[in-house]
Amino acid sequence: MARGHTFVATRANTEPRWMRIVLTVIALGFLAAFLVVPLAAVLVEALRKGWATYLAALVEPDALAAIKLTLLVAGIAVPFNLVFGTAAAWAIAKFEFRGKQLLITLIDLPFSVSPVVAGLVYVLVFGQQGWLGPWLRDHDIKILFAVPGLVLATVFVTFPFVARELISLMQAQGNDEEEAALTLGASGLRTFWHVTLPNIKWALLTGVILCNARAMGEFGAVSVVSGHIRGQTNTMPLHVEILYNEYQFAAAFAVASLLALLALVTLVLKAVVEWLEERGVAAAERAKKVADSSESAARTPVPADARAGQALAVA
Amino acid sequence: MSIQIRHVSKQFGSFRALNDLSLDIETGELIALLGPSGCGKTTLLRIIAGLDTPDTGKVLVQGEDTSGLAVQKRNVGFVFQHYALFRHMTVFDNVAFGLRVRPRSERSPEKEIRGRVNRLLELVQIDWMSDRYPEQLSGGQRQRVALARALAVEPRILLLDEPFGALDAKVRKDLRRWLRRLHDELNVTSVFVTHDQEEALEVADRVVVVNAGRIEQIGSPDEVYAHPANAFVYGFLGAANRFDGHVSGGVFHGPGLRHPLPGMAHDQTSRAIAFARPHDLEVERPIPGGAGVSAQLVRRYTRGANVVLELSHDGADAPIEVELKRAEADRMQLEPGQTLLVRPSSLRVFPQ
Repeated sequence: MARGHTFVATRANTEPRWMRIVLTVIALGFLAAFLVVPLAAVLVEALRKGWATYLAALVEPDALAAIKLTLLVAGIAVPFNLVFGTAAAWAIAKFEFRGKQLLITLIDLPFSVSPVVAGLVYVLVFGQQGWLGPWLRDHDIKILFAVPGLVLATVFVTFPFVARELISLMQAQGNDEEEAALTLGASGLRTFWHVTLPNIKWALLTGVILCNARAMGEFGAVSVVSGHIRGQTNTMPLHVEILYNEYQFAAAFAVASLLALLALVTLVLKAVVEWLEERGVAAAERAKKVADSSESAARTPVPADARAGQALAVA
Repeated sequence: MSIQIRHVSKQFGSFRALNDLSLDIETGELIALLGPSGCGKTTLLRIIAGLDTPDTGKVLVQGEDTSGLAVQKRNVGFVFQHYALFRHMTVFDNVAFGLRVRPRSERSPEKEIRGRVNRLLELVQIDWMSDRYPEQLSGGQRQRVALARALAVEPRILLLDEPFGALDAKVRKDLRRWLRRLHDELNVTSVFVTHDQEEALEVADRVVVVNAGRIEQIGSPDEVYAHPANAFVYGFLGAANRFDGHVSGGVFHGPGLRHPLPGMAHDQTSRAIAFARPHDLEVERPIPGGAGVSAQLVRRYTRGANVVLELSHDGADAPIEVELKRAEADRMQLEPGQTLLVRPSSLRVFPQ
């Protein structure tokens, strides 16, 4: 009977066959035209003059410097946002305080502001003519056109990734487990380490992966504060632009292919993380069904008197 | 451990959760905090645990003020409504948690911890699933794990927040009985919060009826049920039919009702609310000059061995509910649509 109902519902809710094919073709066509073909083009262009040229473009000193700088900037910005994002999500999800809504809005700000504006803000603050410019010059501190400026700009644009990934999850999970840990005598730090962190680890990992991809790939904000000094303040995206403007297409595409590769690795990692998470949930749900159906058998109480001896031993 | 709650008030924004509430709980008692949702009972429980702090007033445990004491130092076992098990830990690790997080100087060796956790799991009858994760357990099993986890740290006080609220009726009944036995064995001072009067009356030594941040009545289950202190308690403890009217000359006058009140001063005149339980009402076919509320039978249905009649009458929005023996209902050939006279065999009157 139930089977029959399912069958009817499926028929009623499904488009005709030709419609499904047309829709699928359109979707896949768009995907190919706008994602797969450009990505393939990057690789093809990069290898147009052969492997030797490709490798030469990557080990060229300026390219190596750009790769190192990109890794360094991401290596600083990502951990910073990992800590900040977790702390902000923790505060927002677990506590009630004034200005909470403002904080949530502020975290989203980098998504809505053009990265160029973000870069200009730092120029305005730290530049020669900026608010802190003279003071910085007097104390011989370089922020703009140096690593600190690149890190600041990158931190700004990657602000929301970890926090956003965690906030909704932590809000959904609530405070109960943390409170339980406290009543059991765990300190705040222990509670975070043993109770909160394991519950958010997958979301945290996803956030870090996305944050890292954006940190390495960021162009606009970094471009404004970098100064484009070859071999010193050029990150990979900036290096690609310079090579391209100098008509060194093969070299430009070679470095760009690294960035494209990073994107693919990121997607694969994200998919793997989500798959692992899904698998855990699915396994738990299957087991839960078994537990529910066996509850009637499981709950048959053993006479408490028979347990009295053990109870006293425990107490 | 005895608990003394002294003039505790707590406000959330403009909402007054607790209003100058005082309560004494004796060592080894099992107390039920009973009240409608939003009455402040859970807030009180959280204040005893130290998860919330009162705005004014204090909580003493064994005569000692706990005001400055952190949650971790209070040594209370808290069982949450939705269990709050650590979802990434096995049943065993959940129960062992409280023992393992102790400072190194107070911590037992791992071998002792294992033994103790195993004994607890046997006590709550889930030792055979100690390797499972909370998601793999049914609601009743999770609740037992939560209880074992709370008991593991040898709490001075056991606090339970709606412990059986999220379980289905049959499991709830089993666990209720089981909790009562467990309490009798362990003898730890326990306070549990519930909105289910049946649960409170069945399990507790004493019932504290809470409403709008205040205590309405404290007493044994028999006392609060048989001698409710006021209209709220009567209405909350079980099904009740309400009649609005007034008292004068020692008699309650309601819609079609005249009910003498022995012990009521004759010169007192005031508005009053009268209550009768469904089984304290009788029905009969209307006879000329017969006393009682004239009402129309709308529906009849089965409640266990008895039959419940739902009657509508002018002057009241809520239907009157009458419970009587099935044989009697059959003998009177009661059918929906008939007009009947309803008369209380006993009536509780609360002058306003």
